[in-house]
Amino acid sequence: MMINMSYIRVKFLPFYLLISAGCTTVTIEEVQHTEATLVEGESVVVIGRRTSNDYETEPELISCIGKVLSKGDNQLNVIPEQTFMDNLYPWFEPRTAPLRVRDLQRLLAYDAVSQKFDDFNVHYIIWIDGNTETTRSSGSITCSLGTGGIGCFGFGTWDKKAEYEASIWDYKNKKLIGKVSSEADGTSYMPAIVIPIPIIAQVQADACKGMAVQLKHFFNNSQG
Amino acid sequence: MKIFIFKLTILTLLFLVLGCKSTLTVKGDFPTPVVNKLPFTLGVIYDNKFKDYQYSEVDEKREEWEISVGDAQLQLFKTVLPAMFSNVIDVSDFNSTENNSIDIFFKPSIDELQYNVPAETKLNMFEVWIKYNMKVYDNNGQLLADWILTAYGKTPTAFMKSQESALNEAMVIALRDAGAGLTLKFSHIPEINTWLLKNK
Repeated sequence: MMINMSYIRVKFLPFYLLISAGCTTVTIEEVQHTEATLVEGESVVVIGRRTSNDYETEPELISCIGKVLSKGDNQLNVIPEQTFMDNLYPWFEPRTAPLRVRDLQRLLAYDAVSQKFDDFNVHYIIWIDGNTETTRSSGSITCSLGTGGIGCFGFGTWDKKAEYEASIWDYKNKKLIGKVSSEADGTSYMPAIVIPIPIIAQVQADACKGMAVQLKHFFNNSQG
Repeated sequence: MKIFIFKLTILTLLFLVLGCKSTLTVKGDFPTPVVNKLPFTLGVIYDNKFKDYQYSEVDEKREEWEISVGDAQLQLFKTVLPAMFSNVIDVSDFNSTENNSIDIFFKPSIDELQYNVPAETKLNMFEVWIKYNMKVYDNNGQLLADWILTAYGKTPTAFMKSQESALNEAMVIALRDAGAGLTLKFSHIPEINTWLLKNK
């Protein structure tokens, strides 16, 4: 049997559009103390801060920022978080990672640690702290099973808020050179008339894109 | 017919009882620590309880979990200790024949393991605590140091991630934390520090 793929794409397109139609407002702020200069071959590492008791900076957010930074125009050489943490184990674990730039000196007293930094050719460490959480939810959807099949009816809505802050450390000069914050708010809806139709606000993804674009600007603005 | 119904009832009950239990064999990879090696030969004693450690939930109010940590923690210690000492030998006890060359003995054990799943807390996270009891003995089998090392790991719940894989991730983070704590604190335990200075 031949399947007409273009028909399938056209048929599902409105559904996919609807899924991604939720609205998000993103606010970005940047403070830059010193110019950032990345020469060819130098790398940055994006790493999540995981010292808080009541939330966890999501690994998928860190990898999202890394991906955006390493693609497209003005791409940066980004070391993946897990690769960096594994190679510098146990110095960048949630409870052992340096909290202030000057704490880096303690690590660099170990020759093997400073050698690893040299191998990666790290110039900047970007620490991301924050999380995405659901701040409000309301409505209800009920589904029932009848002779004609399953049917749902109702309406649900929820708000999500993403708050992240990036602290950029200059490893070579042992200085905090700036901060970028990204705050995103969005409301998702789920009307259900026979089938639930999710209209999802991509709050975390939008906060990631906003943060990554600003970080690119942070590095390229200094170079330009 | 009666026998058939009886067998069916037993099978159904068994299915219900076994079907409610969640099991997890912790699996993960542990990196080699980047630290300076101590110039000593360490004899490590892993007893069977440590090698086969399994946590079984006894609280009837909680979901039934059976968590096997033995293999994963053995893998962790077998990665971490050779990076800390110039030579590491696995021994069964203090009287093993290879003991002549051993400077100190090390014997780890688990005192307690606790976990939280998101349904039990306000936080949308899986959390794990492991309380280790670390013991170090001199080459005559005399206790030198005995300390508690607490390891903690947490992971947020994620869309399309099963409870097992989220709990496994929290367990692996806790084990990594144990490895980090052991590596970085070992020489700072006062009794060990004194011994190291004496035997430099």
